[in-house]
Amino acid sequence: MADQSEPAVHYAHHHLRFGWWSLVCFLTFGFTLELLHGFKVGFYLDVPNETRRLMWTLAHAHGALLGFVHILFAISLRVFPTLASISLKTVAWNLTGASILLPGGFFAGGVQFYGGDPGLGILFVPIGATCLGVAVVLVARGASAPRHANDHATKR
Amino acid sequence: MLLGSLSLGMSFFLSAQPPVVESTITNRPIQVTGDGYVSSDTCQACHPTEYESWYGSFHRTMTQVATENTVRADFDGVRVNNVHGQPMQLERDGAEFWAEFDDPQWNETNGDPPRIRRQVVMVTGSHHQNIYWYSTGHGRSLNVLPGVYLINENQWAHRSAVVLHPPGQSLAMQDGHWNAICIVCHTTLGKTAFDTPYGSEPITEQVIDTTVAEFGIACESCHGPAEAHVTANQNPLRRYGLRLSSNSDQTIVQPTRLDPTRSSQVCGQCHSVWEFYDANGERLANNHGLPYRPGDELRDTRFIAQPSVDRISPSIQTLVTNDPEFVRGSFWPDGMVRVSGREYNGLLDSPCFNQASTDDRTLTCFSCHSMHKSPDDPRSIFEWADTHQVSTDMTGDAACLQCHEPIGANLPAHTRHSEGSSGSRCYNCHMPYTSYGLLKTVRSHTISSPTAAETAELNRPNACNLCHLDKTLAWTADRLLDWYGTPPPSLTVEERTVAASLLWILRGDGGLRAIAAQSMGWEAAQTTSGTSWMVPHLGEALGDPYDAVRFIAARSLQSLPGYANFKFNFAGPRQARIDSAVALLRDWRASSASTTRRDSELLVNENGVLRLDLMRQLFDSRNRRGLFLRE
Repeated sequence: MADQSEPAVHYAHHHLRFGWWSLVCFLTFGFTLELLHGFKVGFYLDVPNETRRLMWTLAHAHGALLGFVHILFAISLRVFPTLASISLKTVAWNLTGASILLPGGFFAGGVQFYGGDPGLGILFVPIGATCLGVAVVLVARGASAPRHANDHATKR
Repeated sequence: MLLGSLSLGMSFFLSAQPPVVESTITNRPIQVTGDGYVSSDTCQACHPTEYESWYGSFHRTMTQVATENTVRADFDGVRVNNVHGQPMQLERDGAEFWAEFDDPQWNETNGDPPRIRRQVVMVTGSHHQNIYWYSTGHGRSLNVLPGVYLINENQWAHRSAVVLHPPGQSLAMQDGHWNAICIVCHTTLGKTAFDTPYGSEPITEQVIDTTVAEFGIACESCHGPAEAHVTANQNPLRRYGLRLSSNSDQTIVQPTRLDPTRSSQVCGQCHSVWEFYDANGERLANNHGLPYRPGDELRDTRFIAQPSVDRISPSIQTLVTNDPEFVRGSFWPDGMVRVSGREYNGLLDSPCFNQASTDDRTLTCFSCHSMHKSPDDPRSIFEWADTHQVSTDMTGDAACLQCHEPIGANLPAHTRHSEGSSGSRCYNCHMPYTSYGLLKTVRSHTISSPTAAETAELNRPNACNLCHLDKTLAWTADRLLDWYGTPPPSLTVEERTVAASLLWILRGDGGLRAIAAQSMGWEAAQTTSGTSWMVPHLGEALGDPYDAVRFIAARSLQSLPGYANFKFNFAGPRQARIDSAVALLRDWRASSASTTRRDSELLVNENGVLRLDLMRQLFDSRNRRGLFLRE
């Protein structure tokens, strides 16, 4: 495994922490949703609240999956040393933003809603999706970048 | 394990019933979208709350395809004796329902009618009755089974027994009756699609391709076709703009936002006695569906019969010429509607509607009823639907007091009854149970004040005597004169000396007897008038020639203390009915209840013995003119 630069280690630790705590949060949220199912809580299950149910299910799914994305990113930092060539700060901000805005937007959209339309909190979702898109593209580019010149020389 | 799972999945897939494509069905009317109608399924996505309460309403289930979820009666090898002619035999064949019965189209005078076996394909009603329609084998035309299933009673009755109908008169329907008649109000945008107007040519010579936008009374019945609304609101910015503003969406009709006249006409399109203006109107409706759309002026495209004001109009006269019982079958002699399901006619004659000073003080259907249960309503959807979709706060006096505020400040001063008693309820005096339908009475929707004259001159029960069943009409006239200065009518000796309810049940016509029998089962009337004296009179009504009166009398008897287990087959053999009634009277005479009341008004002498001579005298003067109420 290649030597790890100081910032990469820092971000790896940060995203591992964030990812695992994110999973803790959304595991708890999922457990809460299951309780709402178990006790047949009308606030969540009644047909008129179908939009809330959908929004909160999406919040749970996105939150949990984004937790895994953070962990994957942290592992990627160690697997792909070329990721150091991208702006890790930008990726970290976008990834963290997406992890708050996507599930938060879905959750807020289900708190107050209008019939089949979610509440205005849903407007955070496209912003969060954009953040996620930026982060994913940057990481993909970093993973595809050629290795450090020294590595090339060594190989030769 | 993998192979096992795969084979299990495959067997499930192969055994699952594929959904039937509507357009492939040839033996019944089918649902097709078009003409701007998109179906309630489309509405559900954006309006789940409204959809849910509509889904639980009896409007939705007015017409349904026959399936194991919609057919309430047992068809599993059941023999039904309560039909005319030979018993009806019911069978299940997989998911299909079949019946074998005497051919109702057979009109020879000699011999027995042939037996026919037909598939039941459609169901009308889900609340009180299931009426079953079979495929006639000719196009998409339907006809009705000879038996009707009474849901609450878990009992079959022959079709003519469940309507107030003169005994001995045939109620056989022609093939295609559903397609031409029922479709109009029991579906959304029904198109009969006969070649010629119903009845003008033999049904067997017509091509019948009946379609509907949706079975039952669906969203677009009241909101109009929604295609433009759906298309416009695919734009989320438009949707949120409307959600966050108080602006109404001009692409759809919201009946509660229409002016009082147009708003009530949305309900009136079905809840009224109406006819086409001419044969051409009927022909157009046959092919294209009724032209009325919510928000239109209803009278532009159909004639609303209102004999209280237009009895001598050419339209009414034409209808009466074609059908001499047209007015009598639906209206009291003064033109007040007397059958259920026609409440719009009642509203039209109500001063609260036609004499209101401003729109916001005008009574409309939506003043008291809501088509979608409010989220604040603590009742279940079934309870809300079961109580005529009356709004949360409108089940009591609030419905009237929202306009008549001063009366509410001191209710007993107006009602002359103690606060909280049934006599102090606005509905009981101003909307008495004088309309009839579905084997029960329903409240009149003509808001009126009780008078003794309406009973003396029109033979319509007044609100006072519908509760004070043990009082004479003279008693009512005196009270109304004392309390409200209502002029008393001239009364006959009987009206002065015999309880009004007994005059109705002994000498009234079939309709009056049904109302009297029903009132004796009304809890408020039982509390007010006592019950011990009712038994012989309800017992006498068990022998009534009208099936419906017998049914109601038996039900009222079962509501009396000590009679909950009384068994009576109202449609059974005559001798069995007589035996039941005789046994009932014998037991009552032997009981102490028979001498509890010794009021002469109740046809009992001072020793507590029934005045059979007076009963006979009243019975002999009974109005025996046949009455068919067109509910």
